[in-house]
Amino acid sequence: MSVSASVDLKLDWDIQEDPVKLVPFEERITKGELVEPDDWMPHNYRVGMLRMAEHHANSEIVGALPEGEWITRAPTLRRKLALIAKVQDEVGHGQMLYRVSQDLGKPRDQMLRDLITGKTKYHNVFNYPAPTWADVVMIQWLVDGAAIMNQATLADGSYGPYVRTMKRINMEEAFHFKSGEDMVLTMMSGTPKQKQMAQEAFDRWWAPCLMFFGPLDKESVKTSPFMRWRIKTATNDDLRQRFVDRFAPAALDLGLKIHITVKDQDGMVTEKREDTEIRRNEKTGYWHFSQPDWNEFHRVVKGNGPLNKKRVALRRFSYEQGQWVRRAIVGGSDLPPLC
Amino acid sequence: MSRLRDHLPLPAEGALISPPEGDATPFEVFIQLLRGKPHVHAGTVDAVDSEMALQFAREHYGQDQACVHIWVVPRSAMLGTDYEHDVIWRSTDRSYKLARGYQVHNRWRQFRSKEDVKEYEKEDLKEHY
Repeated sequence: MSVSASVDLKLDWDIQEDPVKLVPFEERITKGELVEPDDWMPHNYRVGMLRMAEHHANSEIVGALPEGEWITRAPTLRRKLALIAKVQDEVGHGQMLYRVSQDLGKPRDQMLRDLITGKTKYHNVFNYPAPTWADVVMIQWLVDGAAIMNQATLADGSYGPYVRTMKRINMEEAFHFKSGEDMVLTMMSGTPKQKQMAQEAFDRWWAPCLMFFGPLDKESVKTSPFMRWRIKTATNDDLRQRFVDRFAPAALDLGLKIHITVKDQDGMVTEKREDTEIRRNEKTGYWHFSQPDWNEFHRVVKGNGPLNKKRVALRRFSYEQGQWVRRAIVGGSDLPPLC
Repeated sequence: MSRLRDHLPLPAEGALISPPEGDATPFEVFIQLLRGKPHVHAGTVDAVDSEMALQFAREHYGQDQACVHIWVVPRSAMLGTDYEHDVIWRSTDRSYKLARGYQVHNRWRQFRSKEDVKEYEKEDLKEHY
């Protein structure tokens, strides 16, 4: 495999690609053929794909942190085993996605460093706290449910290595989601205290899950060819609607209430009122819902969410303190001799 | 031809006059039948270098069925597990890490109508472990 390692990694919409190459490339994508690392691809395809895969990899790694905190406090041995396996899966997904990104032209170590120095981002949803076991439950049911919805469309994309990785990842995500369903069913079949815990966690996660799919389509800054090139295959609004159509009625049937919330800077709910928009449109079959607070979304994306600094600081700690392990594996003349 | 052969000196006994030559290097061959699908192991060829191995692989494994791509790897570059001593898949119960380890359908039915559960399950991933 000969993959060029030195590419300029910025999007550039002024580039005029050679039509002799671009036209057959786009024809292949229209036919549903997959693009492989050694194939010719437009500069912005490479960069767009890299950005998405790298962001996804970062999100898997950081996404393991809020749940990892709960391994020692899982309520039963079986839940503990499942949570360990789930966290291990997520880190594994990160590894696979960094590998895919490397072949698009960015060294892995650079990606790990850029995440810590804030040059690149991870998914916004992981900047919120998981203060109770019920948050672990809601993460596995709602956040993983949202992730599966998104990733099922990404598995229908055009870049071969990413598509194959996504299929593999979804095979494992199915377990995370089923485990989440099993836990939310347990809590909502439980004592009044368990139900209250579940409701409070649901209140913390409903809005971040609506934001999960990204800003409103009408606010999308630039019309890019990413849909045409099948880097993305569904719009943010479409995915969000599908999420609400699946989870709003399920939550109501479980006995949960859907609230509009106000949160403090630690991500804890300070005010809530019932979302009176929540109802099924009998004509279209779609569910109505209130939009989340998009100002909050932009604030958190810019780094001012409840846990942005803590999450990145833990990554920094792990990266810096892990240096001796990497040196011991890779070797180096300045290392002390093995005894 | 046959008359010419009749007149050739064909020694039937004694030591070979050309020396033993040894074998070339084995290369494992992986072929891809459709773009985007995984490469699968097809067989082995002996060659003096990877270019030659690729040429042989095209002939041996790429001509019987529609084949779009081939990889060759020197066997010396590969490492495998040991059937006798390496346990890869543990046979203890690990259903906790499989989707099928969680039977939630009947549990949902305690909260929701049959139709609603069916609608909800439409979004379930069809393929899983």
